[in-house]
Amino acid sequence: MKKNTGYLPSTIFVEKGAESAPLVRRVLRNCRDVPRRTVSGRREVAERLAGGADPVAEGKKVLYLARQNGSFVKPCPCTPRYIGCSYFIVNSVLNCPLDCTYCILQLYLGGGPLTVFCNLERLWSEIDRLLGKTRGRPVRIGTGELSDSLALDHLTGASRELVSFFRARPGALFELKTKTAAVEGLFRSRPAENIVVSWSLNPHAVARKDERGAAPVRDRLEAAREAARRGFPVGFHFDPLVLFRGWEEAYGRLIDSLFRSVPARSIRWISLGSLRFPPALRGIMEARFPQSRLVHAELVPGRDGKLRYFKPLRLGLYRKMVEMIRNGGGADVPLYFCMEDSEVWERVLKWKPRRKAEVELSLSPRSVGSKSIL
Amino acid sequence: MRDERFRISYFLDLEALARSIGASGLLSPPLVRASGKRFVLVSGWKRVLACQEAGVVEIPALVTDEKDDLKLFLAIVEENRSHRTLSLTEKAETLKKLQALGLGQEALIRDIMPALALPATALHLRCLNGLARARRDVKRYAHEKEIPLSLLESVLRFGDADRSRLLPMLFPLGQNKQRELLDDLRGIIRRDGVTVRRVLSDGAIGEALSSEALSQLQKADRVRGLLRKLRYPALSAQQGAFDAALRNLGRPREIAIQPSPFFEDEGVSVSFRFKSAAELRDRLRKLERLASRPELLRLFRE
Repeated sequence: MKKNTGYLPSTIFVEKGAESAPLVRRVLRNCRDVPRRTVSGRREVAERLAGGADPVAEGKKVLYLARQNGSFVKPCPCTPRYIGCSYFIVNSVLNCPLDCTYCILQLYLGGGPLTVFCNLERLWSEIDRLLGKTRGRPVRIGTGELSDSLALDHLTGASRELVSFFRARPGALFELKTKTAAVEGLFRSRPAENIVVSWSLNPHAVARKDERGAAPVRDRLEAAREAARRGFPVGFHFDPLVLFRGWEEAYGRLIDSLFRSVPARSIRWISLGSLRFPPALRGIMEARFPQSRLVHAELVPGRDGKLRYFKPLRLGLYRKMVEMIRNGGGADVPLYFCMEDSEVWERVLKWKPRRKAEVELSLSPRSVGSKSIL
Repeated sequence: MRDERFRISYFLDLEALARSIGASGLLSPPLVRASGKRFVLVSGWKRVLACQEAGVVEIPALVTDEKDDLKLFLAIVEENRSHRTLSLTEKAETLKKLQALGLGQEALIRDIMPALALPATALHLRCLNGLARARRDVKRYAHEKEIPLSLLESVLRFGDADRSRLLPMLFPLGQNKQRELLDDLRGIIRRDGVTVRRVLSDGAIGEALSSEALSQLQKADRVRGLLRKLRYPALSAQQGAFDAALRNLGRPREIAIQPSPFFEDEGVSVSFRFKSAAELRDRLRKLERLASRPELLRLFRE
């Protein structure tokens, strides 16, 4: 395993009153040489960052340690008029040190600072309240929506706390989603059946150009292999799937590498989602990544207004991916689509969830490995 | 007049004012400031140029003793802003001159850009600096077409020579069509790695642009349609197939049949109007006949 050298901020801002939180003390200990300032709140950080040529990049350079005053846990908003999967997202970190061309956070968070919330005691009680309400129904929950789950782990050590918390709550299926190979901290914890480590994957050609700061794909697969070897269930997200000249061969090679690296029985799920983004992100992508060709593909507005590949292109892409996964060693691995409609489910997977809870059930531990749903 | 350090008005329509000055004289004198042995014009460019146009060689002027150029320039900007809307070109020139007078980027973004109703970001400042450096034809276009910043960004993504090729096509079109044309063209050249010159000279686009039978507007519209097909080949092919299927079906003209937007949904929609029970029965009979025709299935994807 490669040693994680990891992200280091240029400055750390600490919210006044949060200085004594254990998480803050741990981050400051791990960033001894980084300048730090106490600030009154997020607004003061924003004022200090204002005026830069690239506010998104500026926001990623600094780390803001603060208390979460809103909700830590929220239902994944998915997207209107497409099928969701009843996922819950944990907002313990806002923003991401990685800088992917297609990342929605560029628009969603604008130039906000990379923020780590430190009052985790509130997070634990929120999750327990949520689990108390679900009456035994499996809850899929993860930290990888508003940040990468492991990219700051060398500073925060949060994965250890999260794993330890969720191991004692088998009613939850907790997912750490990453594009890094930063698994050293995680591997200090014992695996558990309800803790899934998942990797977002794209062929080298896409990762090199459009996933700045992410680990090379071979390192991600190496980390996944080691996670599976240690007994962690793993997941993979082919999301966003990107169409480019030679995509079939490139994804084919990637799928071969995946199943050579990780035994299919360790794979809890694989998701598929094609490139999609709100029109307002397009200008940001063009300005920040002028060399990228992603925005110049045949993208049209979907039912939710987001730009997506023209439907017949999407169907062709998904069919080929499913065929390659099924024939490449993943015949029994549960597959699902992220933000797709019933036509795609039915035409590609020959199965149509009647409601989003059915997607969730198909991915819960009781159903994993079952062929009946796919 | 050669010293334009205080000038922010460009592409002036002098005719009406020149006529008025010719008839009644100059009622409101311009403002000047001493600069060595000469005077530099501070405010009143349109009036002075209109006097020249009207053949008036001598005019009265007010003289200010304010020595601070920056202060004076800011006062002129404020005065202009209070009684008219500055075009993007004028705003770009204003920002350029303020930078030349020593105002830093931070102060421009924080204080000046919001006052000029511009988004206060470094990205937009860079875009407007690009306009201030652009050739005169682009400045005229931005001024006369009153384009928004987002459209200016699209234009400035092309090089000088390409902009000059594109401007004659953009002038006759409305803003949405201009944006569509520019986006499609840029998408094609970035996706296929070809030049603007090549795209505009090849095949049907080249023919349309060199046609003597077409007006500028017709050329622009033709090119826009052709670019759309190049930019969205699968969507265009699907639309073409749908239109052909509709023709084969022999749709009654009272009944409209449409695909879902961008063919995202499988279904097609049918709509018709009626104003009596008899008309409704007539439309339903026609629909019934359509439903029994095998060609109907060709309307659907795959």
